[in-house]
Amino acid sequence: MAAQDFNFLLATDSYKITHYKQYPPNVSKIYSYFECRRKKGSQFSEVVFFGLQYLLKKYLTGPVITEQKIQEAKLFYQMHFKQAVFDEEGWRKLLEKHDGRLPIRIKAVPEGRIIPRGNVLFTVENTDPNFYWLTNYVETMLLQMWYPITVATISREFKKILAKHLKATSGSLEGLDLKLHDFGYRGVSSQESAALGGAAHLVNFCSTDTVAGLLMAQRYYGCPMAGFSIPAAEHSTIISWGRSREKEAFERVLDQFSSGPVSVVSDSYDIFNACKHIWGDKLKERVMERSQDSCLVIRPDSGDPAETLIEVIKILEECFGCSLNSMGFKVLPSYLRIIQGDGIDLSSVDE
Amino acid sequence: ITHYKQYPPNVSKIYSYFECRRKKGSQFSEVVFFGLQYLLKKYLTGPVITEQKIQEAKLFYQMHFKQAVFDEEGWRKLLEKHDGRLPIRIKAVPEGRIIPRGNVLFTVENTDPNFYWLTNYVETMLLQMWYPITVATISREFKKILAKHLKATSGSLEGLDLKLHDFGYRGVSSQESAALGGAAHLVNFCSTDTVAGLLMAQRYYGCPMAGFSIPAAEHSTIISWGRSREKEAFERVLDQFSSGPVSVVSDSYDIFNACKHIWGDKLKERVMERSQDSCLVIRPDSGDPAETLIEVIKILEECFGCSLNSMGFKVLPSYLRIIQGDGIDLSSVDEILQKLSDEDWSAENVFFGCGSALLQKLNRDTLSCAFKCSYVESNGKGMDVCKQPVTDPSKGSKRGRLSLRRNSDGFLETVERGAGKPEEDLLVTVFENGSLVQDYSLEEIRKNARLRDEELNPTLHNQEQELLHNRIINGIH
Repeated sequence: MAAQDFNFLLATDSYKITHYKQYPPNVSKIYSYFECRRKKGSQFSEVVFFGLQYLLKKYLTGPVITEQKIQEAKLFYQMHFKQAVFDEEGWRKLLEKHDGRLPIRIKAVPEGRIIPRGNVLFTVENTDPNFYWLTNYVETMLLQMWYPITVATISREFKKILAKHLKATSGSLEGLDLKLHDFGYRGVSSQESAALGGAAHLVNFCSTDTVAGLLMAQRYYGCPMAGFSIPAAEHSTIISWGRSREKEAFERVLDQFSSGPVSVVSDSYDIFNACKHIWGDKLKERVMERSQDSCLVIRPDSGDPAETLIEVIKILEECFGCSLNSMGFKVLPSYLRIIQGDGIDLSSVDE
Repeated sequence: ITHYKQYPPNVSKIYSYFECRRKKGSQFSEVVFFGLQYLLKKYLTGPVITEQKIQEAKLFYQMHFKQAVFDEEGWRKLLEKHDGRLPIRIKAVPEGRIIPRGNVLFTVENTDPNFYWLTNYVETMLLQMWYPITVATISREFKKILAKHLKATSGSLEGLDLKLHDFGYRGVSSQESAALGGAAHLVNFCSTDTVAGLLMAQRYYGCPMAGFSIPAAEHSTIISWGRSREKEAFERVLDQFSSGPVSVVSDSYDIFNACKHIWGDKLKERVMERSQDSCLVIRPDSGDPAETLIEVIKILEECFGCSLNSMGFKVLPSYLRIIQGDGIDLSSVDEILQKLSDEDWSAENVFFGCGSALLQKLNRDTLSCAFKCSYVESNGKGMDVCKQPVTDPSKGSKRGRLSLRRNSDGFLETVERGAGKPEEDLLVTVFENGSLVQDYSLEEIRKNARLRDEELNPTLHNQEQELLHNRIINGIH
């Protein structure tokens, strides 16, 4: 159930308050649907349906209308429209007849299903003829389904690309669901969006730093821990040692987290110098001590992603060597990996 | 979670700041600072840490990292010593102020040396400031464009703050984002359907009613009458809302037919009965925005006539207006008003609705928002720090303690390395040790963000504005 201060009557576009007066007389049912319309030239031909359960559990289930909320909405809309247009009577009737529960029916595709564009994904209709105006009252809220659907879809597109390359160059899909780590918490527009988007990514992967998404998955989708992360540096933890002590900063991470993988951002001053002279020389032995289960993951974070990555991997090859896998492709020693977390999108990851 | 173990030993202070970095070629040279008070009031003020939360986090992170890395001890110490309140200080530019890119907007530092790790713990949450800042900035850019055309074609700015209506509630990613984005728009305008934003303005910025709307149709309320009864559907709106303006979406089947034969003929008298205070606002919602609008206004001119205003531009009768709420963004609104003006139509005739271009089609890169550590104290000594990746100079950060001042040329600039004079510093402490220190009202914020004279008379200062824009973007002052 939504927080106490959430008022369902105030969770819609203003103009929808006035629609009960605009439908034809004697209307007893309004039936509406949601789709991801086809669009010429779109790169996405199918979508992942996800996120409805969150909305239902958080905002629509149970007695969402109370007398207090009706009063709050009445006053609010009087000020907002500078006239009395709010359907106080209609909502009170709903409160009395249905104990404040919403007499609508929603039918939907099961969550997680992959559906081609241009198909109905869910339908909404009123179950009590008195409340025909309720169907589209919830449009504003339900149309926000665009977001978790789109994130889950894009995340899955990433997965297809990663799978293709992983299969082709290693012969297996091992570790696929850890290949794309969610770094997006700070770059979304709110805590709630972080939770929704973060959870949507977890439909396809189990690698994330967006803790809010893990909580959403726990609280609304019954999964106690939907994703994992590793100890990692950020620029402040490196630069706070001072420019001349980048090696000490790097070493600190290795010391503090001796088991399990660690990630160290290495471009604070000069990524190539860091790889060649610090990781590949001064700390080389410390790096080689790490096992496959506690590998070092070096993180570049600036410059052209592809070019920087190629140059970095060449430097690491020079310093640490590499071996060939069963498909004949080069692999760095198992204690050493790279994470590219800057400038990544569907086309750059493929490129 | 793991950073407390990675900072240098004996660190006693981590000082970080937020800016909208300059970016070559960006169309936005200045930003509106807005939204921090919401975060402070909602998430940071008061006792935010409890034993129960520490336990929940401990269990959670054990599962998430598959090892015990969570700083249980550190958080318990904070709980005991500070009653669960956060020992940090945040200094910020007053909300609503307009600040050129590349300047410090707020700083964060720990006030208790034991909790140096707290400063950057809050980065993730505070970096989300990019959103209300960017919406408020884009909304204000819309305002500049609308002001320009309104002034040029009508001689006045009357009704400017009703010219851009927020249609974006359904197109954002969550209820909370709708509230933040909706409120950010209300810094510049008072026209919105995004109710969540009005509630945000009420609860966090002390404004009981920050924006207004009018009764309006949507496609379902028109098409539910059936294809042959569009006229009855239109008439219903006029009947049900006889006083005050009403908006009727008219493109369900054929916008041109609706304007010419229904509004302009069958319902013509009903339309003419409406007064200026209860005008009909016709809403096209498809097709090329500029072309459709021009064709619509021509049809309405034929059916209803028009008059000339004091500037010699054509205005529809006062009972009739148009709202274009589809395909509107910063460039199309300018294009549309320019085309209208080229055909001698005043900007008074049209209102605009905007959804995703205002609230959703933006990201942290739009204004290059970043949060970076610039100063550290350890072993009693202060050290200015920064990142300066050789692979991207534009990602370099500022050094040392920062302040914001107005220099002798009147321009705002950031003083680095702790060299700023406290009495000149425009940054104000807004949060300290769990308490809110400033409480800005939307009224004040709106005042701070209002358009300046030189922005209202761009024809006089166009060249100067462009020069200033370029200087800001290129980092020269």
